[in-house]
Order: sequence, then structure tokens, then C-alpha cells
Amino acid sequence: MPEQWIVIAGLAAGTFAIRIGGYLLGARLPKTGGWARAFTALPGCLISALLAVILVQGSTAEWIAGAIALIAALLTRNLPVTMIAGIATVWCARYFL
Amino acid sequence: MDQITLPPAKEFTSGFRDIAPLAIGVAIYGLAFGLLAAQAGMDEFLTGVMGLTVFAGSSQIIAAERLVSGAGALAAILAGVALNLRILLMTASMRAELAGRPLWQIVLGVHFTGDESWALMHATRAKGHPVGYWYLIGASSCLLAVWITATVSGVNFAHVLPDPVSIGVDFAFTAAFIAILCNLWPGMSALLPWIFSAATAGCLVLLAPIEPSWALALGGLAGAVLAGVKRDA
Repeated sequence: MPEQWIVIAGLAAGTFAIRIGGYLLGARLPKTGGWARAFTALPGCLISALLAVILVQGSTAEWIAGAIALIAALLTRNLPVTMIAGIATVWCARYFL
Repeated sequence: MDQITLPPAKEFTSGFRDIAPLAIGVAIYGLAFGLLAAQAGMDEFLTGVMGLTVFAGSSQIIAAERLVSGAGALAAILAGVALNLRILLMTASMRAELAGRPLWQIVLGVHFTGDESWALMHATRAKGHPVGYWYLIGASSCLLAVWITATVSGVNFAHVLPDPVSIGVDFAFTAAFIAILCNLWPGMSALLPWIFSAATAGCLVLLAPIEPSWALALGGLAGAVLAGVKRDA
């Protein structure tokens, strides 16, 4: 079997196992108390961590664009507007810095 | 939680529509991935099969990169799977949406859980719209269609396109997640867990010799544990 097929089959199987594993884990853990608070907080915590990982690896251009995007998000609460503000700022900052 | 729920078809179309700005970014990355897939010896058919069965863009990119660099199939699989471990936490946090559903809907739901649609669903709900399972399915259906179309097209045409970084499109997802995080803000009770998550992930990236995707998962987990342990709010 060619290498490409092995990679696709392996990655597809591994990724699906992770996805269904998360469901089985979530379904089995308690629905109240500390566990429930942790699960409720999980999305925001994961996205905070994601942004931290991106920004600490980024340059000044990404930091400036991140700040402008944050201002746009807080002012407009609008996804496309925030994305356009961020892309435009990062493009300018990379060009001029 | 008792909530007013929308009819599934309406939720589906809302999700499909709301994800559109992110789908543009996904299309550009898809084209770039198609070029990489071609370099890794994959044709249109294989690229389409990979998009449909894996449906996790960043892991497909890293696996194809390892193949191109000659690291071998096992190394490519391990790199992609390691990157996807964060999805475990995402599908775990989908438990309310998946509870009580038939098996095929659970299988479809977990397969359709990806960074953008999962985050968008939580953010839309935090804004007060009663959306859930079918919203996620709608958003991911849009992304899957765009991802497969773009990656398959990219196999032959990506070399005529500019590099995503040179036009700032790599920042599209960062900006989107900033908007999504602002919408997710539930009040001061989240402040400490969010700061703790970000600080843990950031410090791990800078100081520990681990993959950034592991730093991300550990940071998210650290904040969630803090939220679970502290009793206020």
C-alpha cells in the first residue's frame, strides 16, 4: 500500500478515536459541582490558551494587529469586521515595520 | 438547561451562514494545503478522501509536511494525531449538545467538531442565541464543502496563488478567535481561569521543550481545573 494511503487511514482513525474519546469522557464525568464548572469554563480557557500560544510566537506586527482586533471586537462584537481589521493591520504592520 | 430551541433546519442555515467569513480563510489555507498534498505525492482523489475522513486542517498540513520531508508514514501520523489531541477537550465540552442523541448523530457531531465551528457555536450561544448541535453541523458542513473544494483544486492550481502569510491571511484566524473570545466573556468569574490558561500556555511555549499544540491543551486544561476548583461566582 502506498505511503499516502497509510497516512490518511492512520490519521483519520487516530483523529476519530480522539473525537469519540472526548465525547465518552465528557458523557461519563459528573454533571454537577466542580466538574460542571470546569466543563463550562473549558471553551473560553482553550481559546485563551490558543491566542497565548499564537501571540507569544508572533512578532510586533502580530501584537499590534491583535490589539487592534481586540478593540474592533469590543466595539463592534462583529466577526467579519474584527477579521478585516486584524488582517489589514497585520498586513500594514509587516509592510512598514 | 431549559432553553427555547430553534427548528434544526433554521439552526443549520444560521451556522452555515455565520461561518462564511471564516470559510474564506479556510479556502485560502485549503488551496495552500492542496499544493503541499501534491508535493507529498497525493492526487485530487486522495486529497479529497483525506479532507473528508480527517477533516482537521492543521493536522493534515503537518502530516503532509512530514511526508514531503521524508520522515515516513508513522512520523507523519504521530505528528498529526498529537496536534489533534486538543479536540478531545472540545468534544468533551460538547456533552450537553450530544446527550441523548442517536449514535449516527453523535458520530456526525464529533466528526464535525473543529476549532472554528465549535468556537463559533459557543460564542453565538454566549451572545444569547439558542443554538446548539444543528448550528455546529451547519457551520461544519459549510467548512467541509469549502475545505474539500479548495484542497482538491489546490492540487493543481495553488502554485499561481500568493502565500497566505504575504497577504496577512494567516492572521484571519487569530482575529476571529479574538472576536469569539470577546463574545464568550461570561463575566468576572472567567477572568482568573482565562488568565491562568493563557499564562500557562504562553510559559510552556516559551520555556518547555514541547509542541505548541500540547502547550495549548495543557493551558486550556489548567484554566478549566482552576474554574472547577474555585468556589466563587
